Amino acid sequence: MSNVNAVTFTIVLVLFVIVTLVGFAAARWRRAENMMHLNEWGLGGRGFGTFITWFLLGGDLYTAYTFIAVPALVYGSGSIGFYAVSYTIIAYPIAFIFLPRLWSVSRVHNYVTPADFIRGRYGSRGLALAMAFTGILALMPYIALQLVGIQAVLTVMGVDASSTNTFVKDLPLFIAFLVLAIYTYVSGLRAPAAISFIKDTLIYVFVLVAIFYIPTRLGGWGHIFDVAQAHFASISPATKKSVGTFIPTTKSTGSTQFDFATLALGSALALFVYPHAITGVLASRRRGVIKRNMSLLPAYAVLLGLIALFGYMAVADPVTVAHVKVSGNAQLAVPYLLQHMFPSWFTGIAFAGIAIGALVPAAIMAIGAANLFTRNIFKEFFRPDASDQLQTRMSQWASLVVKLGALYFAVELPHTFSINLQLLGGVWILQTFPMLVGGLFTRWFHRWALLTGWFAGMIFGTLAAYNTSTATTSHWASSSDIELGHSVYIGISAFVINLVIAVAATLILRAARVPEGADETLPQHYTADPERAPAPVPAGVGAVERSGDRGPSAS
Amino acid sequence: MKKNPAADHPVASTAIGLLLAAAVCGSLIVPIYARISPKVGDFPFFYFYLLAYMPAVAIVLWVVSLLQRRIPAPGDPGAIDGTAGGIIGGDAEGTR
Repeated sequence: MSNVNAVTFTIVLVLFVIVTLVGFAAARWRRAENMMHLNEWGLGGRGFGTFITWFLLGGDLYTAYTFIAVPALVYGSGSIGFYAVSYTIIAYPIAFIFLPRLWSVSRVHNYVTPADFIRGRYGSRGLALAMAFTGILALMPYIALQLVGIQAVLTVMGVDASSTNTFVKDLPLFIAFLVLAIYTYVSGLRAPAAISFIKDTLIYVFVLVAIFYIPTRLGGWGHIFDVAQAHFASISPATKKSVGTFIPTTKSTGSTQFDFATLALGSALALFVYPHAITGVLASRRRGVIKRNMSLLPAYAVLLGLIALFGYMAVADPVTVAHVKVSGNAQLAVPYLLQHMFPSWFTGIAFAGIAIGALVPAAIMAIGAANLFTRNIFKEFFRPDASDQLQTRMSQWASLVVKLGALYFAVELPHTFSINLQLLGGVWILQTFPMLVGGLFTRWFHRWALLTGWFAGMIFGTLAAYNTSTATTSHWASSSDIELGHSVYIGISAFVINLVIAVAATLILRAARVPEGADETLPQHYTADPERAPAPVPAGVGAVERSGDRGPSAS
Repeated sequence: MKKNPAADHPVASTAIGLLLAAAVCGSLIVPIYARISPKVGDFPFFYFYLLAYMPAVAIVLWVVSLLQRRIPAPGDPGAIDGTAGGIIGGDAEGTR
C-alpha cells in the first residue's frame, strides 16, 4: 500500500461509503406496505417515472464496459472499438420498436421476467427455461466485466500492488463486491436506482471535464488524432501486421468494416434482450416512459462516444503508454490517463465514478438473473406453490449466488480485452431474440422450432467462441471469427443459424400439425397502457400457469 | 375493432418505418462514413459522423414518437377494463 495516493484513496473511500449508505437507505425509498414481493424487491414497485427511469436505465446500460472495456479496445486496436458507439446509436431505434410492446404485455399479465412472457405466450415451460438459463448465463460474464472494471481502478490506485497472494491482492475487490451484495440483498432494485443518481453525476462531471481539459494538455485534438493515426499504421514486431486501424478498412487482408457492422448490430439487438435491461424497463410506470426514454437515453450515447476517445488520448500520452506497457494490461489505459492528467482529488472523483458505475449495473444484473431463477426455475419446477414472500427471499439469495458465479468468470477467463466478456454474453443472449422479440409480434414461430433454433445457436456460438485463439491465448480469445471470408461477430452468425433453423422447423412442425401450446395473451395487451400497476399480487401469472385456466387467480 | 390501425394512416406509418430504418442503416453501412476526409475541425470524418449521429437519432426517435400519437393503438383505452382489469384489478383490490 506504499504507493497509494492518500487524497485519491480517501475520496474514493468516502464516496464508496456514501453510496453504501444510500444503498441501504434506499430500502425505505418509495416504500410499499409489503416489501416481501418480487414487484417490490425485484422491480422497485413498478412505479418509476421518466426521470428515474432515465437514470436507472442509464446506470444500467452504461457500465464498466463503457468506461474501461471500450476505451481499452480503442487503445489497443483503434477504430474497431468505435463499433460500440455505432451499437449504442442503433440500439434505440430497434428497442423503440419492441420495448413498448414488451412493457405493455408484461404489465397486463404481471410478468416480472422475460421468461414469464415466453411462458405465457407459448405455453411452454421448456422454452421459458431456455430463456431463463440463457439470461442467467449471459449475465455472468457481463457482471464479471464489472469486476474487471473495478479491479482496473484499484490496480492503478495502487491498492492491490503490494502482494503476490491472489486473495490479498483482490481483497479490496472482494470487499467492494460483498458490500454491493449485501445492500442489493436488502434493498433490491431501489438500491441501484437511488445510487445511479450519484453515479451519473460523477460520470458526467468527470467525462465533460476530461473531454475539454485533457486535449489541452496533449496538444489538441488534431495532435491526438495524428498520433493515433501514426500509431495504428505502424507495424507490430510480434504479428508483422499493423497495430490496428484508424479507420475501418475494406482491404481484403484486414477488412474490419464487416466486423464493425456485425459487432454493432449484434450488440444492439442484444442490448434490450438482456434481463437487466428488461428489469429496468419493467420497473417504469407507464408505456410512454419507455418511449420518451428511447429518445432521451441517446444523451448517454454521446457520452460513450466521448469516452471511447479516451482510448486515443491514452495513445497520445507517452506517460500512460509507458505505464500500460509495464503492466501489460490495456484495461488500465483510462485509469492511468486520468491519474496522470488530473490532480489527485479529481482523479478520486473519476475513479469513484468508474467503480460505482460498475457496481450499479452489477446490482441490477444480479437482480435480473435472480428474478429469472426464482420465477422460471425455482417456482416453475420446484415450488409451484411458492408464496410471494418465499419468492422474494429466494431472489435475494440467488442474487448472492449469481455474484459468486460472476467472480468465477472474472477469475477464469482471459482479460486481454475484457470487452470479450460482454461480447460472449451477447453471443448467448442474442439466441433468445427470436423467441422474445419474435413472440412480441407474431405467434407464427412454433415453440419447439424456437427451442431447436436456440439450441443450435447456443452450441454453435459457444464452440466458435471457445475455439478462437491468438498467439498468446488458446481459447476464448475473441468474439469474432471468419465466416465466408469475412470477420464476423459470432453472435450474428449464431443468430442467423438460429433463425434459419427456427423458420425451417416451424414450417415442418406446422405442416405436421404439432400442438402449438396455449397463448394467454391477446393482441390488445401489447399496446395496453394500464395506469395502475397490477401489483401487489402476481397471482395471475403463477396461478394461471399452474392450473392452465384463469379460475384460481380470481379467488 | 380494426386489426391494423396503421393502414388508416399510411403517411405517418410509412414515415415512421423509413425514419427508423434510416436511423439503423446510417450507422450499419460503414463504407458511407469510414473515411478520414473531410475533416470537421480536428475530427476525421469517421469520428465526427459517429458523434454527430447520436443527437440526430435522438431527434429522429422524438419525431417518430410524435408521429405515433397520430395512430391510435388498437383498443387503446377500452382494452384494459375489459380484459386485464377483470382478473388483475380484482386481485389487487382484494389485498389492499
